[in-house]
Amino acid sequence: MNFFYGINNNLFKSEIQIPLFQNRDLKKLNLRLFKTYPEHNKWILKEVENKKESENFYILRNQDILDNEIFFLADEKIFDEFNDKKLENFNNFTDTRPAFRANFKIYLDQGGFSSFQSEYPYSMITKKGTLLSSISSLANSRADQNYVLIKNIFEEPIEENFNAYLVNYKTKSIEEQFQIKTNYINCIEISSKLIKPEIFLITDKYLGVPMYVSIKNNHLSFEHTHPPHEYIQSENKFIKVSNLKKEINEIIA
Amino acid sequence: MKLLLKNLYNSEFSILLRNSINFRPIYYGRVKKNYPTSISDAFLWRTDNGYKTLFKFSDILNLFYKIDNSYVEIHFFSKEHKLIKIEKINDLNLSNEFEITSKYLNDITDYGTFYIYHYSTNTKNLGNKDSISNRCYTGYSKNNNLYSFVHGNINTKYANIMSEATKDLHFSNLTNLSLFKNQIYTIQKNFQNFDKNELFFTNPTKFKINFSIGNKNFKLKPYNSILIEVKNPIISIKSNCMFLRPTIFSYEGKYFDVHHS
Repeated sequence: MNFFYGINNNLFKSEIQIPLFQNRDLKKLNLRLFKTYPEHNKWILKEVENKKESENFYILRNQDILDNEIFFLADEKIFDEFNDKKLENFNNFTDTRPAFRANFKIYLDQGGFSSFQSEYPYSMITKKGTLLSSISSLANSRADQNYVLIKNIFEEPIEENFNAYLVNYKTKSIEEQFQIKTNYINCIEISSKLIKPEIFLITDKYLGVPMYVSIKNNHLSFEHTHPPHEYIQSENKFIKVSNLKKEINEIIA
Repeated sequence: MKLLLKNLYNSEFSILLRNSINFRPIYYGRVKKNYPTSISDAFLWRTDNGYKTLFKFSDILNLFYKIDNSYVEIHFFSKEHKLIKIEKINDLNLSNEFEITSKYLNDITDYGTFYIYHYSTNTKNLGNKDSISNRCYTGYSKNNNLYSFVHGNINTKYANIMSEATKDLHFSNLTNLSLFKNQIYTIQKNFQNFDKNELFFTNPTKFKINFSIGNKNFKLKPYNSILIEVKNPIISIKSNCMFLRPTIFSYEGKYFDVHHS
């Protein structure tokens, strides 16, 4: 099961197109759109109504999106099944190969826009861990501003602070530290002086999806980085990634 | 006997049959070599219509295997898969970038594909089954505006990391086929409100593939690529290739967006 999300802050506006068809089967499913968000240590469930703009998509515009909300497709049984203490794998409609994705677009009032096909799989929300991402692999020193957005979804309805760091792999030092929070889309500005090959983004407690935004003259670039294990295809990939993470984690220990 | 049946069930011919009747289809092939391999996606370069391309890649051998003297080769091909040039890059940083302009490509104003391979003669930390895949990021700038980035999407070719002698051999069987055009992939995006949409396809296989979008049919020779303008709000691709997903360019006013499908 996949969850979807957007962003709505003073820098970026967003739009999400959540399809009502699978990518290998155009047959429409009669599913409804729901959102949930954490409040006082409970997941609040609400149906998102009147956002089906065609038979194929739910379209969520900027005013429909908050930074702590996540969206998912389900049928009416969700009201009986929903557990306000823990997100569950409610259905398998979005378990497809290739992955079931929603178009997640960010845009500026001046006209620039950029998007990617986005999803947050259920398998990620049950785990704690650290994310690792190379800053210069997507941040652009030619741009006027660079940001990294970190979306975390954790199964429990907690709004807990944790740390993100920009670390220097060569000097084994912390260049910058940020406080971010769970079940939220966090936004961090990256100084152009830190867009260097040896600078990595790492978190200390929770996973997340790192997405990079660059801006210049109202043009935008928006893309996520791959998780490190995608660089290795052989069976030892998790050992290799674990070794690298261990090495980088020692910098923030 | 069990092993024989298993091998038969997973043979190339059996997989082709299974894919043709959609019975437990196998979308991707696997590298089965007794030497370490470097797998490359088929990346798109564009120098047409005011475009230039920026390629960003990591030194994976250094980062994960602590091999610090490796190098890469980037092989540039035309859309008809004719080799244009090979760029060898030594002295790698952990993260690197390379700009591809019309001038760099011998004044070619067009589009095509390129592949990246990592090589090293230092193999002390590499096992025979090790296999790396540089997914990389390609940025596209139109009329010298900001590069908009997209990640690699499909494993296509691979090479022996440590063999100088065979470095010009690039094997591929990483995407499987069906006998029939029975694979349907619908892009989960509404294309309706854009001024223009382009889809970039590359054939990731060593065989000719057929595909159609609506009532238009296309054929792509091995590793050839094609840029197609589409007008439908919903795009379904019917193909005999088990994994044929385009890179999308959508335009609105003076701005454009690029992403994978």
